Amino acid sequence: MFQNTKNKRESLLLSERAHRLQRVGSFLGQGFLFFITSISTLAVLFIIFFIAKDALPFFQLEGFREFFTSTHWYPSAEKPEFGVMAIFYGSAMVTIGAILVAVPLGISAAVCLSDVLPFIVRQYVKPVIEILAAIPSVAYGFFALVVFAPTLQKHGGHLLSVASWLILTPLAVIFIIVISDLTTTRLSDKVRNPSRLAIIIFLGICFAWGLFQMSHYFNGIIITSGTNALNVSIILGIMALPTVVSVSEDALQAAGRELREGSYALGATRAETIIRTIIPAASSGILAATILGVMRAIGETMVVWMASGNAAQVPKPWYNFLSPVRTLTATIAGDMGEADHVTGSSRYHVLFAMALSLLLFSFLANLASEWIVVREQKKLGK
Amino acid sequence: MRLSTRKLLDRSFTGLGFISIVIMTAALLFLLTPIFIRGSRAFLFRATVEHRLLMLEKFKRGNPEKIQIEVEQTQKMRRPVYDMMSQYEKEISQLSRLEKMEKKNQLRELKKYIENLLGPAPGETRPVLWRDQYGQTRWERALAHLQKVLYREKWDYSDPTKMGQKILIPRTEDFKGTSLENLFPYIENNLKKMLSPRLTFYWRFLTDKSYDAHFFGGIWPEMLGTLYLTLGAMIFAIPMGVIAAIYLTEYAKQGTVISVLRTCISTLAGVPSIVFGLFGLAFFINTIKISESKSVLAGSMTLALLILPTVIRASEEAIRAVPVTYKEAALSLGASKWHTVLTVILPAALPGILTGIVISMGRAAGETAPIIFTAAVSVGKPLKLLETFTQPTPALPWNIYNLATEHEAVDEIRHVQFGMVLTLVLMVLVLNMAAIILRARISKKLKG
Amino acid sequence: MKGALMEKEEKKDVLLEPPEDQRKRNTSGEVTDLNALAEGNGEVHVRTEDFSIFYGTNEAVKKVKMNIPSKHVTAIIGPSGCGKSTFLRAINRMNDLIPSCYTKGKMYFDDHDIYSQKTDVVTLRRRIGMVFQKPNPFPKSIFDNIAYGPRLHGNKNKNELFQIVEKSLMHAALWDEVKDRLNENALGLSGGQQQRLCLARTMAVDPEILLMDEPTSALDPKATAKIEDLIAELRGEYTIIIVTHNMQQAARVSDYTAFFYEGILIEFGDTKELFQTPREKQTEDYITGRFG
Repeated sequence: MFQNTKNKRESLLLSERAHRLQRVGSFLGQGFLFFITSISTLAVLFIIFFIAKDALPFFQLEGFREFFTSTHWYPSAEKPEFGVMAIFYGSAMVTIGAILVAVPLGISAAVCLSDVLPFIVRQYVKPVIEILAAIPSVAYGFFALVVFAPTLQKHGGHLLSVASWLILTPLAVIFIIVISDLTTTRLSDKVRNPSRLAIIIFLGICFAWGLFQMSHYFNGIIITSGTNALNVSIILGIMALPTVVSVSEDALQAAGRELREGSYALGATRAETIIRTIIPAASSGILAATILGVMRAIGETMVVWMASGNAAQVPKPWYNFLSPVRTLTATIAGDMGEADHVTGSSRYHVLFAMALSLLLFSFLANLASEWIVVREQKKLGK
Repeated sequence: MRLSTRKLLDRSFTGLGFISIVIMTAALLFLLTPIFIRGSRAFLFRATVEHRLLMLEKFKRGNPEKIQIEVEQTQKMRRPVYDMMSQYEKEISQLSRLEKMEKKNQLRELKKYIENLLGPAPGETRPVLWRDQYGQTRWERALAHLQKVLYREKWDYSDPTKMGQKILIPRTEDFKGTSLENLFPYIENNLKKMLSPRLTFYWRFLTDKSYDAHFFGGIWPEMLGTLYLTLGAMIFAIPMGVIAAIYLTEYAKQGTVISVLRTCISTLAGVPSIVFGLFGLAFFINTIKISESKSVLAGSMTLALLILPTVIRASEEAIRAVPVTYKEAALSLGASKWHTVLTVILPAALPGILTGIVISMGRAAGETAPIIFTAAVSVGKPLKLLETFTQPTPALPWNIYNLATEHEAVDEIRHVQFGMVLTLVLMVLVLNMAAIILRARISKKLKG
Repeated sequence: MKGALMEKEEKKDVLLEPPEDQRKRNTSGEVTDLNALAEGNGEVHVRTEDFSIFYGTNEAVKKVKMNIPSKHVTAIIGPSGCGKSTFLRAINRMNDLIPSCYTKGKMYFDDHDIYSQKTDVVTLRRRIGMVFQKPNPFPKSIFDNIAYGPRLHGNKNKNELFQIVEKSLMHAALWDEVKDRLNENALGLSGGQQQRLCLARTMAVDPEILLMDEPTSALDPKATAKIEDLIAELRGEYTIIIVTHNMQQAARVSDYTAFFYEGILIEFGDTKELFQTPREKQTEDYITGRFG
């Protein structure tokens, strides 16, 4: 049809000049793209550089020893002390607390999402996770301070005892039944059932007594301040939950249908399939999820600043989650206001030293999680 | 193990999964319910006549005649209170000096609380602060202040092992047998008539400036600041993020450089937000001096760095999801690579990229830590566009923190705090809903 | 370039020479002698010399020597994985998209070395259009789909564009079906319509060669028949190279057929001849269904 145009074909060959132009153009274009892309890289390097630049003067001024060994944090005293161990401890404590909340909940939720719930229900649960992840941290902090802390202060003991009942009773029942089953499998048919019953009754009484003791103990607890490590741990745990759930759900999904079918075909129940086959196969992904959860919890500022009580002390006893603590992020956020205008003082630089340790930690954690993922990919590739 | 035990374990395992999901959902509800219920009271509340008077005098809103009539009616109901007090003053003037002192102090305290509740007595000089010029504008605050009029607080330290206990003592006991004895039941029974509370929808909470340290008015400066910061962050982050995503998906060849780039991007994603704030202070403000001190510009740039990895990842994913056949078709028609990206790949990936952008917008709007040292101040006026280059701004997330922890009367302005939290949460939720809907439409399109 | 000129002189020799016995067996009156074709009105449009394609270390197409005649339909058949699609995509350098893919040997389009460093790939692809296995319209309106190519090459005039769109759609026998909904999304069309739209889109940039990579494999029989009719109509206007795994289709639509097996061009010749009296044992086995 386009006969008239067919004669006027442009040449396939580029002229020498066009050829050069094209090469220069594509080189420049790609260079520009590469430059824009590497801004995020530069940003990371700049962040490390500038934080380190302002952190190192502290060590020149005060040395390493006090920073890493002392628990005395009196930056505004006449003879200031900059022992950060108590603050490190506070950070570690709330992070561990958050992980204790987020990981068991998160993994079982992820299992439920990937293997149990039908597709339709899953569609409604996913937005819940997304919204949990989307709510700003200051809103969590506000909730922790204004709603959760007073509740904890007023009814903390009762809440703890109810929670312990709710969590431990089903666990105890399952444990008793499994133990009684395992201990009686080798017995002959005649004695098996009576002996099993005896074991169940015995263990049941033991556990019930233990639980009563525990709830009695919890009921007697008086929480003097609602802004404490427990409060922050729970809220941080909920904040880290979406990360843990979505990353470990991806890992569980990636384990594949073949593995599941193989296990089911051998007569395994769903629980056995998941615990014995799927979770080991997805273990590295779950580990990565945990690391990401840790990073989320340790890097969080607003919640801990508002609701941790901000007391720079190692709780007594050391595992006391009901006492106020102080974390790295909260210290940086809170003290910078006072140190802001005295650039060059130890008080200013110590905050950067703290930020540097946070940064290094998150850097290492990130590398670790990436290494885990890469190793896993290699393993699967082979 | 027996089959029955295995089945029991299986079921309890399933139950565990369900419970964890229920707990997650419950946590969300526990979090959102108080925020929504108490936050909505910033907008919808029972406003007293004092509120309407304030609106008339300070904002020129409302019908002057109607309000005048209302004020007169309530003043009529209040007159006995003042009459009783002046009578009591006369009574105690006849007492001995020592007794007089004590009674006078008691009366002064009572007067202060009544003034808090109803506003200054007629005929007195007008105080400076707005909060002293008017009585309680909100009915629930009025009820709280009524308690202070009716009861005297006393602390009991008798048990040294426990913390001090608060004891409430009715004030009637202090004034037994005097002319003031009837004052308390009178106030208690007639407070409604003295203040005439009425349900009011104060939508201007969003668009009013705040007055007298957030006691009155709305949250417009904070809203505007948050909008500026968010949009500013997007202006920096979107082009950089999308271009980086295009480079990483379409141009970059696999190699060491690219894997280093990727590691850096994921590291950037993992940097704690407070460190971004410190970096913004140390780099944007102290080193390259983008502005004298805190400014919206510096804050936006810091926030942009924070959300950059999110934008890159979302855009990358969206571009990767574009079927390769589109690219092939464009190339086979003689489009250059760059042209293919612009005319085929980006339009096809646009909904996905938008989803990522919308989500990271929510993130930028809600982040507090990066703007503490770079952009946020607790009190400020709404900025004009050009002022954003040099001026700091109030912003919702920062002022939520500030009002909830550092305000002089934290309990008095709970409604403002909750209103701010609700506004911020709603902003973020709306953005996320938009993202969810966008994504649903994409997946439908891909299926269809 | 030097090489290309030299090759031109030797064109006669490089053409795939049918063995003596084949020439004798050929009885039909049509142009079946590939040598005669080269001398007469027909020209060789695409020519390869020891052309190999590698994916990493795997040689997917091995030293193919082939002359594809101009303005005829050439079918490439062979069992799946034999390299026929790879070869087809090599003609307009679509394989450039695959990072690990590289080539050896020469491939000429008219007299231009396709894989020369100085070849303008954009122009090359414009002159060698391609229709893919699965219909791949852009998620744009029907009009914008067809106008994409012309716009790309600088045509912004609305009237001219409309004319081109109309012509191309008529050419692809799609005009009557879509003329009332040119502004609707092309993804709303049926599979067969989409494929014809893709064909129209390709023709709108006015190419010389149409490459078709199993264009009917994703379509139902009715839509397939329509596409085949179209190919028959376009014969003589374009050089059409079609890859198909369907031997009946090759027999129905093509003038010449090439048989690939494991990356090697086993046999290339007149379609009728190849199907009726294949020279090679492997060809015979394939078309009689003994493998593949």
